[in-house]
Amino acid sequence: MGRYVPYLLFGLVGLVLLGIGLFSGRFVLYLTMRVMLLSIFALGYNLLLGRTGLLSFGHAAFFACGSYGMSLCFLHVTPNPLVGVFAGVCLAVLAALIIGFFCVRHTEIYFAMLTLAFGMMVFSLVWNLRSITGGDDGLVGIGRAPCLGFPIARDSQFYFMVLVFFALTVWVIHRIRSSAFGLVLAGIRENPQRASFAGVSVRLYRLAAFVISGAFAGLAGSLAAMLESNTNPFSAHWTHSAEPVLVSLIGGLQTFSGPIVGSLIFVVLREIIERFATNWMLWFGILLLVIIMGFRGGAMGRIEAFFARKATPRGEEGRP
Amino acid sequence: MLESLVHVCLTGLAQGMFVWLVACGLTLIFGVLRVLNFAHGAFYMLGAYFCFSFLSWFGDNFWLGLIIGPLCVCAIGFLMERFFLRYVYHLDLPYQLLLTFAFVLIFDDLVKMAWGAGSLGSPKVPGLSGSVPILGRNFPTYSLFIMGAGPLVALALWAALEKTWAGRIIRAASSDREMASAIGVRVPALYTGVFVFGTWLGALGGGLAVPYVGLLTPGMGESIIIEAFVVVVIGGLGSLKGAFLGSLVLGLLSSFGTRFIPAFDMFLTFILMAVVLLWRPEGFFGEAS
Amino acid sequence: MAKKDITRRDFVKAGLLTAAAAGLGTGVLKPTGLWAAEPKIQGPVKVGYQAIMSGTLAGYGEFHRMGAQMAVDEINAAGGIAGVKLEVEFRDSTLKAPEAIKNARYFVDSWGADFLAGVDSSGQALALAPVMAQLDKPLMVTHAATEKLTEVEVFKNGIKQVFRICSPTYQDGNAAAFVAKDLPAKKWATISPKYEYGYTCWSMFKDTLGKLKGDSEFVAESWAPFGTTDFRPHINTILDAKPEGLYSVEWAGELITMIKQASEAGLFKSVKHVMLPVGAAMDVLEGLGEAMPDGLWISGRYFFMYPDTPKNTEWVNAFHKRWNHYPAYVSETGYSTMFAFKKAVEAAGSKESKAVIQALEGMELDSPAGKRVFRKEDHQAMYSVPWGLTASNPKYPFKVMGKTVVITPEQCFNRPPFEGEGTKPPFKS
Repeated sequence: MGRYVPYLLFGLVGLVLLGIGLFSGRFVLYLTMRVMLLSIFALGYNLLLGRTGLLSFGHAAFFACGSYGMSLCFLHVTPNPLVGVFAGVCLAVLAALIIGFFCVRHTEIYFAMLTLAFGMMVFSLVWNLRSITGGDDGLVGIGRAPCLGFPIARDSQFYFMVLVFFALTVWVIHRIRSSAFGLVLAGIRENPQRASFAGVSVRLYRLAAFVISGAFAGLAGSLAAMLESNTNPFSAHWTHSAEPVLVSLIGGLQTFSGPIVGSLIFVVLREIIERFATNWMLWFGILLLVIIMGFRGGAMGRIEAFFARKATPRGEEGRP
Repeated sequence: MLESLVHVCLTGLAQGMFVWLVACGLTLIFGVLRVLNFAHGAFYMLGAYFCFSFLSWFGDNFWLGLIIGPLCVCAIGFLMERFFLRYVYHLDLPYQLLLTFAFVLIFDDLVKMAWGAGSLGSPKVPGLSGSVPILGRNFPTYSLFIMGAGPLVALALWAALEKTWAGRIIRAASSDREMASAIGVRVPALYTGVFVFGTWLGALGGGLAVPYVGLLTPGMGESIIIEAFVVVVIGGLGSLKGAFLGSLVLGLLSSFGTRFIPAFDMFLTFILMAVVLLWRPEGFFGEAS
Repeated sequence: MAKKDITRRDFVKAGLLTAAAAGLGTGVLKPTGLWAAEPKIQGPVKVGYQAIMSGTLAGYGEFHRMGAQMAVDEINAAGGIAGVKLEVEFRDSTLKAPEAIKNARYFVDSWGADFLAGVDSSGQALALAPVMAQLDKPLMVTHAATEKLTEVEVFKNGIKQVFRICSPTYQDGNAAAFVAKDLPAKKWATISPKYEYGYTCWSMFKDTLGKLKGDSEFVAESWAPFGTTDFRPHINTILDAKPEGLYSVEWAGELITMIKQASEAGLFKSVKHVMLPVGAAMDVLEGLGEAMPDGLWISGRYFFMYPDTPKNTEWVNAFHKRWNHYPAYVSETGYSTMFAFKKAVEAAGSKESKAVIQALEGMELDSPAGKRVFRKEDHQAMYSVPWGLTASNPKYPFKVMGKTVVITPEQCFNRPPFEGEGTKPPFKS
């Protein structure tokens, strides 16, 4: 019985999202799309952070690659949205391969700092290569041509395209996590030396996790460019990289649905705070403090265990 | 041409020493506590604002403000470490970073609420304002002061760490925490002490920045913290010597880069960081992990 | 979230309020148009205002708020817009485009705004334009200066919802060239922000000055990234090039820092002619105080001493009395925006976007900054802002404009269709 609960829960969530798509007002639609896009970014990212134990501060660069790749394709090649998304993801994967190759030799703080450096280099490039990227104005006028014949120009229509990609992401990440590949990643996080003694090419697996998470970042970026109909260089800034970290932490690093829950909390909380106070940073910071201190790792662990029982079959979480 | 090169060099050295003054506290905190404190930029900002306020209250006495200001800030640092940071040492790196990041948000808004959202102009420091002609072009006197203050602080820190009893304990605890605890060092108290001292250094950097930058704005820590991070990393995490050298390199690179290869600005800074990390991940003087 | 149902106001009550308002005579605007007979407007009139309220530029958000709030209070005290109350909500736009877009959507879709105002960053304004077309509510830009907004988004792409009440980059680039042409400087250099605004203004300045004074040379440029606190390397570059004139569109805190550091380095001793298109901003003048050198050319989007009309003087005094500050230019644009909406709604007799847009096109507005006319083709407000040489004035603890020159918008604004011959100054007529 317990095995089917996670699927039921996700079915419920899917129904809610469908309901929002069909019945809610424009702003809720927009916010929900932002939550879904952030979830896609964070789900992919958490594969690297939660699963493989690598903290990257450069993933915003791949988000930006997706964003700009899609936009450049739209402006210069074809308005077909699927081709555009594909172009964005490809650019992100390429960048992740190159950057990842250099970064995965190191771990922990050095890895984090290297990814920060490369991410900011991408930011600098995007800002300064004005003739290609539009500089700090970004690329504007990104439209939404019909996707596979379905019109997506209106938000209420585009919502479903985002929903489809979100569902796809959830499914793919779930399959990865429960696959042999996902288990190896967990093993690498727990004890990299043991993993390499067991014959696993640690660096290769880390690179794979890096690239896959980069691909999802690129997907989120491509869809974001279509949602906002523009790109901007700040999408590559390291402070944007901090968002999936924040969101995964709030939701639960070791859990599957953590990034989704975290995204929801992040977007909704921010919106609520902004309605009642102009000093939103103060309250947001306090809330963050409360979340970290309140759980102090201990209570968070309890929630994680609760989610773990719901989201994954028993016995999957690594035992020492 | 020579005049130009000399001035570009001097500007770079001054900027380097300025970054060092901010980064030394960060290095110390990381070396001992193994925590990368995002909020260090906020302490820098708080230091600047407190010093500025004391400046105006005590009749423009810069030196007095410089003594009292950082003391107020490290009281705040004490509160942050003792009641918050202490409880997340055992958690993973992301939690610690997130905690310090939360404090950045809080401090940024608190400063805005306390001192206003607008920018505050700093008054001149008597005796150190104005400029000195070097090879026919004026070089600010205060920059020369910063160029002197940097090595002075470096020497003082070195002396404190090498020659004093407290310094020895700090070095012991940073290289082997468990052992230090086993031989009777009260590690939690030590950590608090080091954090407070590091905060004090950051706030001092902020106070010294007031006449150097000439302007206080909420969020002024954001730009300097990145430079401080780069310097701490390339110098070798926890190595004061490395951070000093890293600051010099960064300052000179920045100055020469802006003058001769202007297209690249921050790109150069991050390429430097990436190159150093790839060639030697432990930085110039860090210990191989 | 569905829009709230608004109860209809009593016609008689509205009529009485109108009479009272007309009688009180705020001296700003008299109610005109069709509405007096039969108000079609369901109150309140809601304006969503976003500006930068966090980070190093947080001061500007405050300035916007001061002006806008003052206007709201004045308008409501005099009976509101067409007899219904005016409500404004403020939000932090930050500097990021997605935040600005989210705020705009919140204002319109969730809060029920009829109009939007604000926006400091050019990039944000450009990103907002297509969103405004989708949301179909008028946006009055009060600070963002990029000419691409009006030339491309409004004129070329036909996004009619966007208007701009503040002077754009024409004032910074073209007008500066008109002033510069009479200066003895031939070699010009720049230290300007390393983003589109900086590039555009310098390019416009070079272009126009080159046409006005053929022997001009542009010998050096140094671009300072956003957030620069150390301008000394840039100052070094300029000193090396030995120009006769310096042009800089640095603004706000960065301009303050640059001027202080340039003075220290003796830049103003060797470069005698300096043009600061946004140097007359109150935060800069007040921030520098005595440290602002004399004899620099400054301008902005409004300067409190110009025009020397009773309306302006009264407003400045009232502003100073309430906020203990002289008005920043965004305070004036924020203030005037509310009155622009009031006039348009009352003229159109409705809050509906289409009607208000039609009313705004070509509308004349009497404001503290003088008479503004919203050009029909690109929705850009035309009004004059002076250029002046910095000088001391015993009345104020900061430097003000001494000798003043006015370059009219007819002289320096680009003209539709914005491409091709005769669209860029100098013009023959």
